[in-house]
Amino acid sequence: MSFSEIAALTIHDVKNKLAQLAGRAERNGDAETVRSALEAAQTLTQLLTFYKSESGGLRLDIEAHSPADLVGELVRESRGISGLAIEEDCAAAPALAFYDETLVRMALFNALHNALRFGRSRISVGVRGQDGYCVFTVKDDGGGYPDSVLADQGATAPVSRGGTGLGLRLAGRIAERHENAGLRGAVALSNDAGAVFELKLPI
Amino acid sequence: MAYAEQYSDKQVLIIDDMPDMRSSLRSQIASLAIEKVGVAATVREALDQIRKRKFDIILCDYYLGSGTDGQQFLEYLRTAGIISRATLFIMVTAETGYESVITAAECLPDDYLLKPFTAETLRSRFERLLEKKARLAAIDRLQDQGRWQEIIPACDAIIAAKDKYLIDAMRIKGNALVMTRQFEAAREFYEKALALRPLPWARLGLARAERGLGNSDKAKQVLGQIVAENPNFLSAYDMLGHIHMEEGDAEQALAVLDSACSVSPNSLTRHRAIAAIAEDAADFGRVEKALSVVVQKTRNSPLRSSADYARLGNALTELGDAGRAVEVLGEAKTSFKEPGDARLLAAVEAVAQQKAGNQEAAREALGRALEGGAKGLPEAAALAVAKACLVHGKQDEATDILRDVIQNNPDAAGVHARVHAVMKEHGGEEASQRLIEMSVKEIIQLNNAAVEKARAGAVAEASRMLSEAAARLPNNLQVVANASYCLLVDVFQNGIDAAKLREAQALQQAVVAKNCNYPKLADIADVMGKIQAKYGSGANA
Repeated sequence: MSFSEIAALTIHDVKNKLAQLAGRAERNGDAETVRSALEAAQTLTQLLTFYKSESGGLRLDIEAHSPADLVGELVRESRGISGLAIEEDCAAAPALAFYDETLVRMALFNALHNALRFGRSRISVGVRGQDGYCVFTVKDDGGGYPDSVLADQGATAPVSRGGTGLGLRLAGRIAERHENAGLRGAVALSNDAGAVFELKLPI
Repeated sequence: MAYAEQYSDKQVLIIDDMPDMRSSLRSQIASLAIEKVGVAATVREALDQIRKRKFDIILCDYYLGSGTDGQQFLEYLRTAGIISRATLFIMVTAETGYESVITAAECLPDDYLLKPFTAETLRSRFERLLEKKARLAAIDRLQDQGRWQEIIPACDAIIAAKDKYLIDAMRIKGNALVMTRQFEAAREFYEKALALRPLPWARLGLARAERGLGNSDKAKQVLGQIVAENPNFLSAYDMLGHIHMEEGDAEQALAVLDSACSVSPNSLTRHRAIAAIAEDAADFGRVEKALSVVVQKTRNSPLRSSADYARLGNALTELGDAGRAVEVLGEAKTSFKEPGDARLLAAVEAVAQQKAGNQEAAREALGRALEGGAKGLPEAAALAVAKACLVHGKQDEATDILRDVIQNNPDAAGVHARVHAVMKEHGGEEASQRLIEMSVKEIIQLNNAAVEKARAGAVAEASRMLSEAAARLPNNLQVVANASYCLLVDVFQNGIDAAKLREAQALQQAVVAKNCNYPKLADIADVMGKIQAKYGSGANA
């Protein structure tokens, strides 16, 4: 058995244990532990996905999805486990967009949980159609991205910040793997009274 | 949301081998105010529950501990028709790589959830999926009943709305166009869909349309593209394998199926597909290898199938290992009691026992195989019984059975090849070719004789001849359609006969079910119209 196979099985096992932990915490109404368990599981998923993207094993499963449904689901999940006010803006969402839902969900989950961590009182999650792209947005009212991260748009973000860097790097890779008719996906990071994360995917 | 109130009365089944996960899921579902919840730890328990009551939602963990995984279980439930499209099947898994596990595109779960997830996520997902089911409910019912012609306008209504179900409706409509053999329209439709986005299912649809139009090379080219760009899309491999097989290139066909199997080594469907083609190619070593895996994975499981044991027993006998064949078939005998299964297995056993030198056991098995005559046996069982008859020197019985098999599918090259295989040690290619030609000629003569009789004014006699033939050869569309047509002409000329009208309509329905664009159907509709014009509303059987 290779190291990567053992790692994959181990990650699977740990995620099952985290699922049990999250289940127990949820039953006891312990939202903080639920959130930690979800984030820990997500970090493992990111690690595995990052490994696949490094070793050429990351395959996309592009299908048509409703981006507003995805945003709605993430927002509702987060409201249950965070004290921050979370706004949802899907007024200009396209009815359908083409992407790998599992990977896009992972990228958005990471951005959303960063916002939950760094935001002061409110965050906003939305999606809109713009110039042939489906643009997902996560904004918070925290201190914003450091200049070093803005400089190269997260491509070499330090991995030390509680998984933040890994998530940003991965989001960029996931975005650029989405291509259609000459358009390519991208991640755009900026500051506007807090951090603004945008994931643009060709519709 | 309107659906939020509606799901509390839904019936939900949880399948997970881990007690902790079962109780965790159970309490999450309870927190959504859903009370009608069933829980199962194994596939067998789940089947018991599914047979007792109708579930709206099945939440199944991908890893179920023992031999069967969630994906195999789903494929079994859907292909055996145990759950309809109205039941939501959601796969639960801790693995992100689950997409790579998803097998044949026809057999996807409605959705999958990555562990861990919260009750709130479950709620969102239930709402989203139930809303979709509600929107597509009418189309799903039509699909379950195979009423493809009616599905097309139903899909068009959703496509025109351009909402989030657009692609779902397009996918179903394309399939309906192929099922109703409107290949030109299907090609145009899929080409438009591909211009929107080059999705693998639309490519597969295009390949099916091209194949239907007789453009095998074009179909192969499109399928090659899918395999190169979406190597996980396994339906493409199946079709590519079939085309190679039709072109007589068994080696290519098996190479394609082998690569599909390495993409998805746990799929029973994959191993079974390899075994079926390897058997036709007389590659019995490969049949044995593929089916040993299947038999081992499904032992003591409700997913086991008599066809696997029959095919494996036959392969072992062909490989000269009759002793092991007898063993395998002995194990099967205790598991499959249905008469159809039992006769197929008995026929294969009759050959194996004979080769193993157990004369008495062989005769006894042949007796069981022949119980109730050979009429109405499915093709695989009929071929096995014919082979057993030949091995036991019952030449006439074998010839009768094989003749029916050939005449039931007069144009099918695959059937002819199987008849050759059955007779290879009993008369060889020359004898089987003679039998095939004779059988096919007999059908042509029967049709010609009926036409002559009808022309000479003996329509009633012609319709009797054809309706007898149709009863013997229910898969021969030409015979069945001609019988329906002739019965109606008989009624038109000789007066209303309720029994004949009923029979004509039943035969017509049988043709429609197999091919609703069969050319003779137009003639049948035409006479039906004339009958109604002549006799008025009394012409309704």
